[in-house]
Amino acid sequence: MTVKIVTDSLGDIPSEVAEELGITVIPLNVIFGEGVYRDGVDLTTEKFYAKLIHSKLLPTTQIPSLDVFVQTYDRLAGETDEIAVITNSHKLSATYEAMVQAIKLMKRKCRVEVVDSLWAVMAQGLIVITAAKAAQAGASLDEVVALARKNIPRADVRMAFDTLDYLEEGGRIGKARAFAGSKLKVTPILGIKDGEAFPFAREHSRAKAIDYLYDFAASYSHIDEMAVEHATTPDEADGLVKRLSAKFPEERIYRSKVSPVIGAHVGPRVLGVAVLGDKR
Amino acid sequence: MGQAGSITGQDLKEMMAAATSWLEKSAADIDALNVFPVPDGDTGTNMLLTMRSTLEEAYRVPDSSASGVARAMARGALVGARGNSGVILSQIWNGLAQGLADKESVNGSELADALLKASTVAYKGLSNPVEGTILTVIREAAAAAREHASNVSDDAVSVVEATVGAAKESVANTPTLLPVLMEAGVVDAGGQGLYTILEGALHYLKGEVEQLKLRRPWMVASSVPLTAKAPQMVGAEEVPYGYCTNFVIKGEELDPDKLRKKLEKRGQSVIVVGDNSAVRVHIHTLDPGDVVSYVIPLGTLHEINIRNMDEQYRDFLEMQKERMPAVEIAIVAVVAGEGLSNVFASLGATFIVPGGQTMNPSTKDLLQAVEAVPSEKVVILPNNKNIVLTANQVQSLTSKTIEVLPTKTIPQGVAALLAFDYEADMETNVQNMNRAQSAVKSIEVTRAVRSTRLGGLDIKKRQAIGFLDGDLVAVSDKTDAVLNEVLTRVNLDEAEVVTIYYGADTKSAEADQVGTTIREQYPQLQVEVVQGGQPHYNYIASVE
Repeated sequence: MTVKIVTDSLGDIPSEVAEELGITVIPLNVIFGEGVYRDGVDLTTEKFYAKLIHSKLLPTTQIPSLDVFVQTYDRLAGETDEIAVITNSHKLSATYEAMVQAIKLMKRKCRVEVVDSLWAVMAQGLIVITAAKAAQAGASLDEVVALARKNIPRADVRMAFDTLDYLEEGGRIGKARAFAGSKLKVTPILGIKDGEAFPFAREHSRAKAIDYLYDFAASYSHIDEMAVEHATTPDEADGLVKRLSAKFPEERIYRSKVSPVIGAHVGPRVLGVAVLGDKR
Repeated sequence: MGQAGSITGQDLKEMMAAATSWLEKSAADIDALNVFPVPDGDTGTNMLLTMRSTLEEAYRVPDSSASGVARAMARGALVGARGNSGVILSQIWNGLAQGLADKESVNGSELADALLKASTVAYKGLSNPVEGTILTVIREAAAAAREHASNVSDDAVSVVEATVGAAKESVANTPTLLPVLMEAGVVDAGGQGLYTILEGALHYLKGEVEQLKLRRPWMVASSVPLTAKAPQMVGAEEVPYGYCTNFVIKGEELDPDKLRKKLEKRGQSVIVVGDNSAVRVHIHTLDPGDVVSYVIPLGTLHEINIRNMDEQYRDFLEMQKERMPAVEIAIVAVVAGEGLSNVFASLGATFIVPGGQTMNPSTKDLLQAVEAVPSEKVVILPNNKNIVLTANQVQSLTSKTIEVLPTKTIPQGVAALLAFDYEADMETNVQNMNRAQSAVKSIEVTRAVRSTRLGGLDIKKRQAIGFLDGDLVAVSDKTDAVLNEVLTRVNLDEAEVVTIYYGADTKSAEADQVGTTIREQYPQLQVEVVQGGQPHYNYIASVE
């Protein structure tokens, strides 16, 4: 039986890709005042940013109740006897904990393995996508988990931010605090390191920041998969994909949008590139 | 909760209990915010002890009306107040009790009024109220409560929610109001304590028992980043602070207002609060004996506590050193002007040595800065061609590893700082920073100190002159005209960012106008006009 792949919505996997590869994405929640929205299900990226920009309330985020994870496991257990779960970094949310706890509450019998990707956004997404491709090709649960673990140190991501206010407000700024509070208008470029936000560079203009993203991705000698994702600037994302496709096969470059839950922490105009590959 | 939207005496008790246990979780963190010379070495602990006494008294009284419980709170806080912030907290409860007089339960609007009263009473207890402290936080929080109750909702819970939100914002802004906080890169400890108390109370009102149990209070981050500045570090040892003296006088016919006036002549930071039977005194004095003998005839003295603040200050200096960002490579920058210093600090300079044109720091000044930073590797940004050599001398005087990046202008220094990579080693960083600083064009506009002829230009004394990367290229009567002329010599069509720092002698309106003109001519450019506050130079600008 094919191994079923489960992840959470912080991986920013485009829904059509998830569908094609049979990936079950559990949405986390965005909360605007009284309204609770399931990430990407009740609220699209576009609607979320429209709300974010016009709302006085700052959104918060939470993981869904344990039942949601348990029900997902039990539903999939009706179709398979092996489930591989790949979550966002335990330093960014409690998803990993919840996914592990949920196993104990399952009603059906099924082997479930949970992997903490130590990433989020498409760095997590790409690890999930390669795991799903292996599962589709007939890999066992142990093989899928081993592949995911092997790929964790091979993934990386950089994102250009318009502001660090949202990250700071949401308490996820970590070491990137070093870049907060700048008195000059600069574009901070962050990534994730050891499972949390990390400050990598600052550029004095948006154009230079996009050059940085290109240089970061282009420094890879080989890629398995690559992704360009954005929040509110599709043209910039298209431009970056175009530049990168001169060096890497275009069909390997996914184009994605940050999910509302990610958006609540990164704010508008974020542009990022994630890579799964080797530098030399 | 009592009747929907209102708070009963029992609620008040529960709110205090929740607030106390919430505060307990972060008391140690709040202690760590201590900034001398605010006298309370342990604000978090002091506020917690004050809250415990508040809570004890609130639960001790059989009264279950809001007014009765609030009165008990005020009494408990006054008797048990510890430290500066504890005393002010007791005044806040005192004002709250006055505001809630005769109320069985309170709605949002009544609560807002009581908070306003609390703010007024807290200010009144001090001879010299300082902004950027717990006082600012209660004042702004109370104002937000009033505004919310009037314009949004009279529901008590939502009023408290608005109060907590405003308190948080107010705490984050304390460093902008109080320079000692700015220098230490922390928020006001008393303000943080009050915010935590209010938030704890809110958790109870919202029924968030889980939050109270499982989570920890959020420490508000300063709205300005931490960078040490030289003067506070260097000249500090000479300032005597004396003794922080606290006691309670119990007697008859005491007059707090009169006593405050008398004590103001005997010390600083005088707080005198209480009524005609018990008065709490807090004072900083060089001679505590003098203060004590003055008050002895007035009644009996209790809870006398005298601490040597000079000792506290030495501890503080050590602690400040420990609290500077622990980076492997520190950056020492030479900068003149408040605005420019803030820019460098906000971009991550570890230590600012004041100086620049006509105010070159000595090798000793730079050496002290290098020794003060908590890193073994230090990059120095001289930002002036006359300081590069001085900076080069530092290496022979210290065991630390020094790299002097030969930045000759402020724009070069900013570009180098932006290129600094927290991950990279010294060698890579020096390489990257050098590349970045050489890619920027620097423009400086000043006024000629004498008449001369230079670079084919006739210059009269006091005329505005403009330099491009150190070469004199423009002269005119007006500084903005010179800046514009120098800009025409740079290929702005290919530039991406123009940053203009205007000096202490330049009006912001004039600088904004220059910025607007460039934006109109070159809409593709990112133009930023920043108050640099530098002396001598009307404008410093960078083109990238």
